Amino acid sequence: MRVELKKYGQILTSRPAGREAALAMKATVKPADDETIELDFDGVLSVGPSWLDEVLASLRAEYGTDRVVCLPTRNPSVIESLRVVDAP
Amino acid sequence: MEIIEKQSGTRPSDLIQALALTPQAIHRHLKSLLGKGLLERRGAGPRVRYFIAGKPQLQQVAGWYGARAAPSESPPDLICETRDSFAGRLPRLTKTGLSEDDQSLVIAAVGEIGNNSFDHNLGSWKDAPGCWYQIQVTGRRLWICIADRGQGILKSLARVDPTIIEAQSALTVAFEKILSGRAPERRGNGLKYVRNIITGSHHRGLACRSGSGLVDYGEFGMECRSELARFPESEGTVTLIVWSLK
Repeated sequence: MRVELKKYGQILTSRPAGREAALAMKATVKPADDETIELDFDGVLSVGPSWLDEVLASLRAEYGTDRVVCLPTRNPSVIESLRVVDAP
Repeated sequence: MEIIEKQSGTRPSDLIQALALTPQAIHRHLKSLLGKGLLERRGAGPRVRYFIAGKPQLQQVAGWYGARAAPSESPPDLICETRDSFAGRLPRLTKTGLSEDDQSLVIAAVGEIGNNSFDHNLGSWKDAPGCWYQIQVTGRRLWICIADRGQGILKSLARVDPTIIEAQSALTVAFEKILSGRAPERRGNGLKYVRNIITGSHHRGLACRSGSGLVDYGEFGMECRSELARFPESEGTVTLIVWSLK
């Protein structure tokens, strides 16, 4: 199931905004039991690690880490954000 | 050049007086320096002022940041009293001549720094709530200054790690280690992200001052440091970023 993040804004920064987006996603995204949730960054200008951390943490807690997937993107702010958010 | 560097915008009449030269001679010199790209002219007619190209004008923010009592001057177009107001002004960075990839990185980095002001100071502002957010483009360089009159990074981090007892090490920890002043919340990677972006390529720089601490990163970090070193000491936090538009 694909979630188009551009529907949450072109600029995605701050933890409060990330929390709010995650709540909205959980209210509207209803995947089947074995379905993955694919986050699509196409059309988004900038994503900060705080926003992404809130969204990923919330979705992973709800659906499990393996079922939440970030689709490949060339957006450098997303690539950099994932580097720090998923750092060990 | 020395006179212009010391002042916050110099009028030709100031130079005529200071150098005891004719208006024609001053205008000839100014034209030559403009042609060499060493100066920039702003304004028109009698309000024209000359500035050093590539240098930001930070006197106003330094005065606001360093004021001992509540600052008397808080320009509404530069102060973001709320997080929403800051978020609403972030898209201004799309109109500065940056490539789309650079916009993506600069907006994310500036977003982290500005939001940090609100995350760490809500309920703890010294007097004026919010942050100063100013963008300047000069000499093919983008300068971004974010300042707040909050409690500072040392106070914020010392609450979760009492071994941090001075401002310099607090700033180093903030930019280089994962530790959040909002524990037990899972936070603390925003400034590391900002540092990675600044050091990730050439022609970028950042300096951050909080209390007596001052750090810099990136190729142009020293230039930012020397600008912030002139700011009065304050409990709050000020960050200056420079990004080449070439």
